[in-house]
Amino acid sequence: MAQILVVDDSGTVRNELCDFLTANGLTVSSAVDGKDGLEKLKADPGIKLVVSDVNMPNMDGLTMAEKIRSELKNTTTNIVMLTTENSPAMKERGKAAGIKGWIVKPFNGPAVLASLKKLAA
Amino acid sequence: MNISQRIILIIALALTAIIAIGGYAVLQSRQDAAEVRFVTGKIVPTALASSDLVSRLKDVQLGVNVFVAETNPTLLPQLRDQLLAKLDPLKESLKIQEAGANDPKQRAIVEETKETLAGYVDAINETIRLKLAGQHELANANLFGNVAPIQTAIESIVEAIRVEKNRAKDDAIANLAKRLSATTQATAGATTLMVVLLGVVGLLLYRQITRPISRMQVAMGEIAHSQDFTRRVPVEQKDEIGNSIIAFNSMIEKIQESSEQLKQKTLDIQSMLQNMPQGILTVIPGNRIHHEYSAYLEQILETPDIAGRDLMDLIFSSTNLGTDSLSQIETACSACVGEDSMNFAFNEHLLAGEIQKSMPDGRVKFLDLNWSPITDENDVTVRLMLCVRDVTELRALAAEAQQQKRELEIIGEILAVTQEKFHEFIDSAIRFIDENERVIRAHDAFDPGAVALLFRNMHTIKGNARTYGLRHLTDTVHDAEQTYDELRKQRPSLAWDQTQLLDELSRVKASIEHYAKINSVSLGRRGPGRRAGVERFLMVDREQIAETLHRLEEVNAGNIHELLAARDAVRRTLRLLGTEPIGKVLDGVLASLPSLAQDLGKLPPMVEIEDNDIVLRNQVGGMVKNVFTHLIRNSMDHGLEAPEERKAAGKALAGTLSIRLDIADGMLAIKLRDDGRGLALEKIREKATSVGLIHASRTLDDEEAAQLVFSSGLSTANAVTDVSGRGVGMEAALEFIKAEHGSIEIRFTDDRKGAPFRHFETVILLPAAVCERVDGLHGDGAIGARQAPMANTAASASADPTNTVGSRA
Repeated sequence: MAQILVVDDSGTVRNELCDFLTANGLTVSSAVDGKDGLEKLKADPGIKLVVSDVNMPNMDGLTMAEKIRSELKNTTTNIVMLTTENSPAMKERGKAAGIKGWIVKPFNGPAVLASLKKLAA
Repeated sequence: MNISQRIILIIALALTAIIAIGGYAVLQSRQDAAEVRFVTGKIVPTALASSDLVSRLKDVQLGVNVFVAETNPTLLPQLRDQLLAKLDPLKESLKIQEAGANDPKQRAIVEETKETLAGYVDAINETIRLKLAGQHELANANLFGNVAPIQTAIESIVEAIRVEKNRAKDDAIANLAKRLSATTQATAGATTLMVVLLGVVGLLLYRQITRPISRMQVAMGEIAHSQDFTRRVPVEQKDEIGNSIIAFNSMIEKIQESSEQLKQKTLDIQSMLQNMPQGILTVIPGNRIHHEYSAYLEQILETPDIAGRDLMDLIFSSTNLGTDSLSQIETACSACVGEDSMNFAFNEHLLAGEIQKSMPDGRVKFLDLNWSPITDENDVTVRLMLCVRDVTELRALAAEAQQQKRELEIIGEILAVTQEKFHEFIDSAIRFIDENERVIRAHDAFDPGAVALLFRNMHTIKGNARTYGLRHLTDTVHDAEQTYDELRKQRPSLAWDQTQLLDELSRVKASIEHYAKINSVSLGRRGPGRRAGVERFLMVDREQIAETLHRLEEVNAGNIHELLAARDAVRRTLRLLGTEPIGKVLDGVLASLPSLAQDLGKLPPMVEIEDNDIVLRNQVGGMVKNVFTHLIRNSMDHGLEAPEERKAAGKALAGTLSIRLDIADGMLAIKLRDDGRGLALEKIREKATSVGLIHASRTLDDEEAAQLVFSSGLSTANAVTDVSGRGVGMEAALEFIKAEHGSIEIRFTDDRKGAPFRHFETVILLPAAVCERVDGLHGDGAIGARQAPMANTAASASADPTNTVGSRA
């Protein structure tokens, strides 16, 4: 059981974010790509928030978000993307997949914490 | 009358019309029916009965004839009965006719018939009697003689009745027919009239209802279409339409109010955007600039081309930000606009807070950026608002304050060192620097001995600087020493580079010279021996320097007003360094006035100083003091009169000396005047001629004569006094002034041309560089502009009133 699932193929980003969230009293699990993330989410229905990178091998973040919406129809999991780019097309896809927010890298821990806590509650 | 009342009126009118027409028709038809009944029930039956009368008469006639003709006597009684029986119906019929006679003519005929019929019945009875008596002939004769004529008469009368009755019947029927047709016509007429009346009234009422409605519709349509909410629909009636219009008008009024408010608010915002000295813009999806932005933004960015531009291009092109930072800003903006406001919280940290933007002409502007989201009711950021502040001036001020701080610190450091030691340090440091320069120039390649010498010299400078706490110097010196040290240790990273070494050395030299300059110029501490007791001229003590420094450190660098105030205060302090107000410069001279006055048998004068916030640099302080010593002595000696003489002339017993400072045309003017008797021009002329300065044949004008007071050897005093009259004072003063590139002149202040005595003022002109104007010099009450008369006023009456026959020396 975890509140937040962190999905990023970069171990550095993953660890940094996980450590930060854990240090702030949140329970976290992590996945290395979209496919892994989707499986982990399916296995743990307690996850309230997915924070995911966009560009990843096997399955990218947006595709994962779309699959979450199509394969886990009843889930109310919030999805927030961690990104370095943000094109109108991406925003459009994100909106369709019910993505709540875009955190542009490099992220600022204190700035995102309050909102992430709210989304993971 | 309102609409519902009108409609009720229409309905009521229609109902009334229907009832009236119906009632009328019913009444008419009832009357007609009565008439018909009367005609059919009364007139027609009597007409018919008149025929009965005729036939019954015939029956009687027949019975009489039959009776008379009968031959069988046995049958006669029976026949008589039969005959008599036939008389009764006849009488009956006549009775009917009597009853039915409805006009006098008929009644007269019936009456006649009744009378005739009585005779007829009598005749018949006579006939019957005769017959029964067997007198057949008599009976027969009676029949023809009496009965028959009467019968004929009755017949004609009855016929008349019948005819009359039938005529009456026909008349009645004709009348009835006429009446029925009249009824039909009247009903039709009434109906037509009612329809017309109803139509007219209905139309009027209808128009009263529809017209205002269509007018209202048109007016409302126009207002809605033109959006001119100042217009109103006129209220013509107090009915539902009028009320609707009133309601509509009040709605329009509210719309007008709110549209005016909206207009006002829009105007306010527009004028704010137009006039506020702030650059404000909003970023819309696609990172474009919204077409509404503050006018000042154009001034900041120096371009009118803003609306619709790309944010990155407009604000962030030619800035100090790297491509990665720019990409982060671009992505962050796009991630915020059109998304939930939490995205702003996520990414706000990526939006630059201050940038340095290069203008096309190469100037660099410091721009302070303040970002905030504009959210809608769903907490979605619809736009990003960006406030752009040009903080170039602020940064420049901060840099200037930093520079001032450095200056103050240097001054503090210098003040902590005694004059002699400081000069010793500067002299030795310059010697070492010069030696190093020679060494560097002499070697175009690395030489261990040379480097050792360079290092040793620089090390010595550093050591001395440290000893004296010249901290701002040690930094630069330390850098050079480090270089030499590394060269000495033969670090591979550093090679012997003459140009670089000379550059570095010149930086050190500049630092040292900077210290020397501050010492000599700002602090007025010149080389030792030039002027004794020079430390006295230091007007700014170290405590004040420390205080000013503290103020600079405390200042909020983000507040331009605070920065400006601090800068100005420090500037003032720095400008005041090495300066003195004239009151202080002349302190000693003025302090000696009472004893001087006593010596001359005069009262100590009032001294008025008007310095106009001008202070003198220490470099001229001594000179001004020397010149004024002469000038004031002259005034005391030759200008101001003895008390008795002043009293006789109606003047205050004590004289007044006025000193005034002004700056005009780049020159400082120091003016001195007294309220004494004036310049003794006549005596000067005589003296000049007598000592051979001027040939006896020449007449000098006032100005030329006045100029002679600056010639050596001219003294108009009858006796040389201790105070003045030696004839060299003014000439010496002139020399002092010339040394400072100044001049001295005498200006007359009256227009009594050619008079033996003329009022005047002595004006010393010096380049304005020898003074500083400091606003609010006396604001803190530090230095008094006016000095009270000297305390020691015991003027001795016995003192020689000095032959004040107007000579000035």
